[in-house]
Amino acid sequence: MPHMGTSVVEGTIIGWSKQVGDHVDLDETLCEVTTDKVDTECPSPAAGVLAEILVDVGETVDVGTVVARIEVEGGVATPATPAGPVAPARAEAAAPASNGAAAANGNGAAGPRVSPVVARMAAVHDLDLAQIPGTGRGGRVTKKDVLAFLDRAPEPEERPLHSESPYRPDDAPPAPAPSPPRDDLGGVPQPLSRIRQAIGRAMLASQLTTATCHTVVECDMSRVENRRRDLGLTALPLVSAAVVETLRGFGQLNATLDGTTITTYERVHLGIAVSLGDDGLIVPVIHDAQDLSPQGLGTRIKDLARRARAGQLVPDDVQGATFTITNPGAFGATIATPIINAPQVAILDLEAIIRRPVVITDDDNNESIAIRPMVNLVLGWDHRAIDGVYAAQFLTALRRRLEAAG
Amino acid sequence: MAPTTYLQAIGAGLREEMRRDERVFVMGEDVGAFGGAFKVTDGLVDEFGPARVRDTPIAEAAIVGTAVGAAIAGLRPVCEMQFADFVACGFDQLVNVAGKMHYRLGLAVPLVVRLPVGGGFSGGPFHSQNPEAWFMHAPGLKVVAPSTPADARGLLLSAIRDPNPVVFLEHKHLYRRVKEELPEVASPTPMTARIARAGDDLTIVAYGAMVHAALEAAEALGADGDGASVEVLDLRSLVPLDEEAILASVRKTSKVLVVDEANATCAAGAQVAALVADRAFEDLDGPVRRIATPDIPIPFSPPLEQAALPSASTIAEAARELLDY
Amino acid sequence: MDASAAALLAVPDAREVLLTSEDRRRLWEHLLLMRTVEDEGIKLYKKGKIPGSFYDGRGQEAISVGAAFALSAQDPICSPLIRDLGAHLVRGTDLTELFRHYMGRENALSRGREGNVHFGDRHLGVVGMVSMLPDMVVVAVGLAMAFAMRGEARCALTFFGDGATSRGDWHEALNWAAIDRLPVVFVLEDNHLAYSTPQSRQFATHPADRAEAYGIAVERVDGNDVEAVHAAVAGARERCLAGEGPVLVCATTMRMHGHGAHDDARYVDPELLDAWRARDPLERYRVVAAEHGVDVEAVERDVRAAVDAAVAEALTTPMADAATLMDGVFCEGEAEPLGVGGAAPWSAYDEGAR
Repeated sequence: MPHMGTSVVEGTIIGWSKQVGDHVDLDETLCEVTTDKVDTECPSPAAGVLAEILVDVGETVDVGTVVARIEVEGGVATPATPAGPVAPARAEAAAPASNGAAAANGNGAAGPRVSPVVARMAAVHDLDLAQIPGTGRGGRVTKKDVLAFLDRAPEPEERPLHSESPYRPDDAPPAPAPSPPRDDLGGVPQPLSRIRQAIGRAMLASQLTTATCHTVVECDMSRVENRRRDLGLTALPLVSAAVVETLRGFGQLNATLDGTTITTYERVHLGIAVSLGDDGLIVPVIHDAQDLSPQGLGTRIKDLARRARAGQLVPDDVQGATFTITNPGAFGATIATPIINAPQVAILDLEAIIRRPVVITDDDNNESIAIRPMVNLVLGWDHRAIDGVYAAQFLTALRRRLEAAG
Repeated sequence: MAPTTYLQAIGAGLREEMRRDERVFVMGEDVGAFGGAFKVTDGLVDEFGPARVRDTPIAEAAIVGTAVGAAIAGLRPVCEMQFADFVACGFDQLVNVAGKMHYRLGLAVPLVVRLPVGGGFSGGPFHSQNPEAWFMHAPGLKVVAPSTPADARGLLLSAIRDPNPVVFLEHKHLYRRVKEELPEVASPTPMTARIARAGDDLTIVAYGAMVHAALEAAEALGADGDGASVEVLDLRSLVPLDEEAILASVRKTSKVLVVDEANATCAAGAQVAALVADRAFEDLDGPVRRIATPDIPIPFSPPLEQAALPSASTIAEAARELLDY
Repeated sequence: MDASAAALLAVPDAREVLLTSEDRRRLWEHLLLMRTVEDEGIKLYKKGKIPGSFYDGRGQEAISVGAAFALSAQDPICSPLIRDLGAHLVRGTDLTELFRHYMGRENALSRGREGNVHFGDRHLGVVGMVSMLPDMVVVAVGLAMAFAMRGEARCALTFFGDGATSRGDWHEALNWAAIDRLPVVFVLEDNHLAYSTPQSRQFATHPADRAEAYGIAVERVDGNDVEAVHAAVAGARERCLAGEGPVLVCATTMRMHGHGAHDDARYVDPELLDAWRARDPLERYRVVAAEHGVDVEAVERDVRAAVDAAVAEALTTPMADAATLMDGVFCEGEAEPLGVGGAAPWSAYDEGAR
């Protein structure tokens, strides 16, 4: 199971792209994996023939677990039995992930490794380490575990004179999954996808732990619209740039809140909500957005959205946001009440830009009605962190900045 | 007899050696009437006179270089650097002249350079350093670092009687903080490691002030429901390094945490870690872990300095992780 | 008391030293020995028999020979530099050991751990130099400090070039020696060049003037006149032993070869070299010695024979043994102080002067 970011400890296989016996090229997609952060394709770490699949679809295993074996061209045929505890010399598809894929046990990439002293003790005492319960990190068998086992274990019996047959009956094939029952109303209950479950957990937790309020301002986007056409951008990067600038004066909103501790940040890691259609929603992060121009932000947003929809985000792409922008307006919505992505303290909702009649005042205070591209800027904010005045001040400052953009 | 502080023990060691051997003399900045910046040499000038308790100009290169001359002329100079950091000004004389002399010419250079080392009291970047690694890397120099009053006196005796240049690291933080009853008659402490606390589950290798932090951490780990039995090995001497004592302890516990207060890169602890990796690999039940000061000048402001230096709690935390490994 | 009586009672000027014809024969012998050994060394270097590089003191022979000749065996030299082979030779360094040392063969001087003039014979009271100049000036002050502490009638002598006076250690050493009026003779070899760098890029105030500013007596002397150097150092030594404090002898000379055998010194004005070549210390002293009855040709034959024999024997000696590589980083036994067994060929030391 590849390492997919600092906080990911387990993953679920959601599909094998190759079957046992298939040839697989280096970096060709081997399987798809989902974690509570991201769905991703795993490229093959080696070219060869897929010799063995060790983790079935739907199974969740720890990062670092061997999920398959690839027989490398010209390599030795691999027996279809699980590897022993001592690191085998074959190529293993343990960690097809990117550089520095250190497994959680700190022992590098390949499978259930043991420390030098445990390996030596196992060899000296002829132990099968699989039989020894491990109490170390991630279930690792420690020297203490071996000593305890040796204390309990009876002296090994004399070895049989003839070698035991390696034959073992196959495991019974798994029973076919029962088809989902229909209820009285003809509904079809289905388990939620992992990503839906993750979104649900996060949103519910936010609702339960934050004091979410919403404030709305209307903003004239005439100048933003002109400018974005000049630059060949959508409105989102221009709004993002204005948000980042405005946050410099509103530090309490570029923040995280943990219980009674609020942490404000100088740098802005800007979360951008990206819809995955029926597959849910993901919020990739533009780190250090304060260092980027609107064009740079536009490039990053495009790249993140493309990768999000292709399932190519890595977990570091979705971590560390200090403020989030959501943009359901792209789908026509004019007002919504976004849920804060806790522990952040605010989320800005950019609604649809709609041409509406508005009252405008000229320099001589003459009023007239004009047609203007208007947008609702909705700020969801945590009343534990700030008050409504602060939210309104932020929004009006943001509006001034957007309306002055030229 | 009243307990003797680490600082008094060094002063006592100097006095005893000067009484025992008229070739022994001390020199340094303000060591005479003033008694030294930390009062280690307090009172010596009254007993031995200004010829053997010599106030020098502010000239570290000359303090070390003239000591080389006096040593090859048959005396036993003990030089004081006012702060260990200042030895950088005398580095060339120590490393190129003193350290290489015997190998090149067969001429022994029996001198001692005392270095008040270590931070923890807002001394800032020029009064807090632990420069032992510089000298461990220079062939021909011995490097010792006592952690207790008894060893401070005993190792000073060994250093003065040694026919080689010896860098004597005395930790300022310990000067007045540690004390113990000392025997009436001093005897030289061998330049070998000492088991400061015996244990079975984990070895903490340390020297100087870090021995005390390690002992505090070991107590906490034994008491705090961890129930861990932690061994603390006090190296005492960095050159020569007591490799067999380190390996024996690691073979017993199979887990090792190496602590030094010096900057991490190429530190004494790095040498210990390399030794363990090289020669105790098959006895290890976990990675060799190190704690050291990050590679920064020691900052002045207390929160910065405290964040930089290893402490009993950071040692305990690392030890706990390693115990759980 | 009349003037002539006062003159009789006055302390004799130590600079009016007495040299016998045997002393002059030995001075000529050591000047010639230094040049012959170094010429042989350059040949061996060019034949590929000497590893690394090779340095010589062509044109400066009178300084190291004359200075060392003025010392007693108790007075250590710390240290002869790469232009000062004559000081080693006056002290009695064995020629065969010297060539073995040059060639990296097994030898008693350095055991193959050193090359060039980087050696000393601790039994002869000579401390080997280090490359960081003027480090050994500081060490010499330390030796003098020990002598002063023990109340011994000895002085230490050290050599340095004009270029080395740019470094801080030189300041620390002179300042320190002046404070305690230590018995040390500083011999400045004012040879105009620090490798290729001229004095105009080394200092604005001449080192002899700086020494005076530190409170050190300065004696200026023609560095190409071996008897003048000898007299100056002998006088300086007397002042040191009399407790008058350190003396700097500034010996003016010219480096006639490159910095090392690898350096053709094309940066030196040829006319300057021609002018100094006319003042060659050997050619000058050959005349003086002959005038005082020295059989200079006999000395030349003896020197040639001694050097040839030493080279021949050194060439048969095995190279340094790698099995000894680790030996001697530390002293394992008792520290043995610098010895006092060196030769003091000046007739003034023949009786009782030690």
